[in-house]
Amino acid sequence: MKQFSRTLLSVGTALAIMGSAAAVQAETLKIALAGPATGPVAQYGDMQKIGVMMAIEQLNKAGGVNGMELEGVIYDDACDPKQAVAVANKIVNDGIQHVVGHLCSSSTEPAADIYEEEGVLMITAASTSPTITEKGHKLIFRTIGLDSLQGPFAAQYIVNSVKPERMAIIHDKQQYGEGLATAVKNEVEKAGITPVMFEGVTPGDKDFSALVAKLKKENVDFVYYGGYHPELGLILRQSREKGLEAQFMGPEGVGNPDISKIAGEASEGLLVTLPQSFDQDPANQALVEAFKAKGEDPSGPFVFPAYSAVQVMAQAIEGSGSSDPYEMADYIRNNTFETTTGTLDFDDKGDLTEFSFVVYNWHADGTKTPAAQ
Amino acid sequence: MRQNLYSAVFAAGITFVLTCLMIGVKLTSEGTQLKVVSATEAQWGWIFAGIALVFFSQLFRDQISAATAGIPRPKLATLVPEQVRSPKLKPWLLAALVVGLFVWPFMVSRGAVDLATLTLIYVMLGLGLNIVVGLAGLLDLGYVAFYAIGAYSYALLSSYFGLSFWACLPIAAVLAATFGFVLGFPVLRLRGDYLAIVTLGFGEIIRILLNNWTALTGGPNGISGIEKPTLFGLEFSRRASEGHVPFHEFMGIDYSSGHKVIFLYLIAVVLVIWVLFVINRLMRMPLGRAWEALREDEIACRSLGLNRTVIKLTAFTFGASTAGFAGCFFAARQGFISPESFVFIESAIILAIVVLGGMGSQFGVILAAIVMTILPEFAREFSEYRMLLFGLLMVLMMRWRPQGLLPSKRPHMELKR
Amino acid sequence: MSEALLYLLQQLINGLTIGSTYALIAIGYTMVYGIIGMINFAHGEIYMIGSYISFIVIAGLLGMGMVALPVILLIALIVAVIIASTYGWTVERVAYRPLRGSNRLIPLISAIGMSIFLQNYVVLSQSARDVALPPQISGGWTFGDPQLFEVSLSYMQLLIWVATFVCMTLLTLFISRSRIGRACRACAEDRGMTNLLGIDTDRTIAMTFIIGAALAAVAGLLLGLYYGVVNPFVGFIAGLKAFTAAVLGGIGSIPGAMLGGLILGVTEALTSAYFPSEYKDVVSFGLLVLILLFRPSGLLGKPEVEKV
Repeated sequence: MKQFSRTLLSVGTALAIMGSAAAVQAETLKIALAGPATGPVAQYGDMQKIGVMMAIEQLNKAGGVNGMELEGVIYDDACDPKQAVAVANKIVNDGIQHVVGHLCSSSTEPAADIYEEEGVLMITAASTSPTITEKGHKLIFRTIGLDSLQGPFAAQYIVNSVKPERMAIIHDKQQYGEGLATAVKNEVEKAGITPVMFEGVTPGDKDFSALVAKLKKENVDFVYYGGYHPELGLILRQSREKGLEAQFMGPEGVGNPDISKIAGEASEGLLVTLPQSFDQDPANQALVEAFKAKGEDPSGPFVFPAYSAVQVMAQAIEGSGSSDPYEMADYIRNNTFETTTGTLDFDDKGDLTEFSFVVYNWHADGTKTPAAQ
Repeated sequence: MRQNLYSAVFAAGITFVLTCLMIGVKLTSEGTQLKVVSATEAQWGWIFAGIALVFFSQLFRDQISAATAGIPRPKLATLVPEQVRSPKLKPWLLAALVVGLFVWPFMVSRGAVDLATLTLIYVMLGLGLNIVVGLAGLLDLGYVAFYAIGAYSYALLSSYFGLSFWACLPIAAVLAATFGFVLGFPVLRLRGDYLAIVTLGFGEIIRILLNNWTALTGGPNGISGIEKPTLFGLEFSRRASEGHVPFHEFMGIDYSSGHKVIFLYLIAVVLVIWVLFVINRLMRMPLGRAWEALREDEIACRSLGLNRTVIKLTAFTFGASTAGFAGCFFAARQGFISPESFVFIESAIILAIVVLGGMGSQFGVILAAIVMTILPEFAREFSEYRMLLFGLLMVLMMRWRPQGLLPSKRPHMELKR
Repeated sequence: MSEALLYLLQQLINGLTIGSTYALIAIGYTMVYGIIGMINFAHGEIYMIGSYISFIVIAGLLGMGMVALPVILLIALIVAVIIASTYGWTVERVAYRPLRGSNRLIPLISAIGMSIFLQNYVVLSQSARDVALPPQISGGWTFGDPQLFEVSLSYMQLLIWVATFVCMTLLTLFISRSRIGRACRACAEDRGMTNLLGIDTDRTIAMTFIIGAALAAVAGLLLGLYYGVVNPFVGFIAGLKAFTAAVLGGIGSIPGAMLGGLILGVTEALTSAYFPSEYKDVVSFGLLVLILLFRPSGLLGKPEVEKV
């Protein structure tokens, strides 16, 4: 209901702006926003949504793009690959040619195949699996770093700062989680640390007591978890109850306040690799204030990448003078973009050439501080 | 009247107990603490409106039922009277229907054709399960397993060995049938609900195996980029893969993504007609009659010398192969499959199609498949209330027409009095 | 004790805990099946609703500044049992009773519809996200050699065992001694005959739904406290597991449901203990299929008699 009223609010604002600008602008350009609005990881969808909606609102306030008014259309894929395919087909059917999304890598990958085939430009602000851009697609871009960057980065930190004696790697068997876990495993093995356990769990499961006992038996002192917060939260909570004293670490998929709600005290001291906090950047303070004025939280890891995805689209339309996906794609590959997440430069595959991560210490009240190196 | 007043007060009280905490109070979190907040005044308004509705409908239930008794119930059976009444007209009507099926996609939007294709997949699944549940009377709650086997056999054969859709179609059907046969052999000794439970377990095992056998099936990520069907080697993509010619270049027309959608739809139509044809033949064979006889009275069948294991096995195998067909086509249409598409609720929906259609009635099953796939699409208007309404409708339809939309009519003769 | 033995003991403790809760939910399936021969697919949702209600009551009372934990839990238990039973009764009254006497597939479809309805009802009224409750009962005993492996048994696990044991004992007494219990057994034996003897079978059937829902609500409270997390989808998964447990033990048999639940819980724990944990569901469903093939009526079920 809250979400609904928030949607209403944003639609209302958009309408108000449209009303005032209708006299000069007639044409609108629809941008589809695909991601989970329902389901267990809907809060990430929310981050993406507030970023995109804010970007659209501010661009429209500044006079639109090439005389066109932008309009965000929300599609819910519930982070389910099957629904993602249906949503992608629906976006194509609805005649929309620009998509920001999807969120979960497992949804983005099949959807990207459809967009490429149907000539739709897609920029994801959250999917970090390397395979998405490895198929030679022309129209698929992303404004966030890859697992293949994040995994080794986490592994470097583990090798240099944590120096675990008995390390375990757990993942949720999904593209994102398992991909990261494998990257970390390969990288720490190169440095001479052999994980004593590498195991999958079932997403949606609630009982991890058997797994925790297993970790305890192996005398594990460090656990890297590849996946999202609902499972890690429960693992942390049950570890605390069973007296497992190990240091846990996770990717940005676990880094949101919900993990502290689930795990409580047990989330204190968890290590999380996150994109640099763009909301701390002095250059973005005006934008942070704008989010806060709407009662939205700009600290989520995907808010600013989503904002910059819209900025990239807008600048590509202005720069290439066309909203044709193919011309825009060429322009995006050959130019750099000034956005809230810094100067973005895309390589041939559609990935950012540079993206930096930071290791944070998570706290039980849902906040974070940079971890000691 | 006094009786009604009591029951009205009681029903209103029950409604209040049901809603006061579940709707009236909401769990939210403040920081990391769990808090409760009362619902908004508008929501309390809705709760009390609901309670009042229940109260008055119970209070005046005699008057209401008297008023509704006057409204004639729609007679669905009269929707298809011509077929029965004038046998001469039947082939013409059928021909017109088939021609219509082939022509209409060229006149409507891409979305409608897409939806029609999905409906046809459910028609196929419904027809297949109808053999098992409707005709042979074996309750199968794991039907989706065969659907999954069909889908994965095409996806895997195509991605590992590069086999085409047309080559995989029969292979998928045979593979699914083999699984049906192998599963059916030990399981069909079980009677009634135990059969239902074992098939449910089998369906879950297949799904969990697909989910965990990451090396082969890609696990929860599924298989993406599955080849689309070709028309005699012509592809329906903008740029064809190596050694192939795109359809639009071959025909010398502009590329349109609609061509592919229509092509897939036409394949689905052909497959459904084929399935219908085969099942209709089977039903008139001694085997088909034995299925129905077995459903009606197992013990009588055995005393007549019919081998019940063979009869059940054939029903199971034919049902499974139809699901294999549907699965293979589903994989080709989606271009992506994952174990998420083959969960228990899918089995339940297919079963609902068979029951809603009127068990054993093919026309009913087709009608029910259309209702069950189009309804949620129309309900998209209600967005978040969509699945709520879907569940409610399933309950209401069972109350309203437990015998199904179009109960089956077997060909029979009656002596004239 | 050696390390391997201590580890096994720990896993057995874990398995018995989860098994107890399966057993509590399984009772609802088995009683309904025993009496009207239908699989009540909406039962898992009743458990989920029980969990939500207890969270609401606990959070509400804590918010009001109440501190006595036993009192809070008792109130939560009572409210959850009352409301969940009301849901159980209403579901039976609205979705199953009007269909009595029709083909047995009809109530099955109605139950599936009801399950979808209730799940989405909670999604709409309480949102689809995980709701988390901070740990209320923490601590426990540890024993074993800290050098080798320390076995822990938390107070929460003990509470689950005790509560399950008490519920089961009360239920067994209720079914074997009380008037309503006798009526239930008579109904399961032969409904038509029971009716002729002047027992209101509709009321007896409603009673089984209420008992099943009450036990599911107890499980909802216990599991809610144990895991600290609930979302609208937990009912379906737990329901499927509990149903498996009921079938394993012999559907229709109350001791069978208890046994089935415990066996299933222990099997799951041992599978994840010695094999990759992702295969635990395959093993438990495989076990179900095997048992049904060799003992088609389950472990403690009565063999079905063919009647002409």
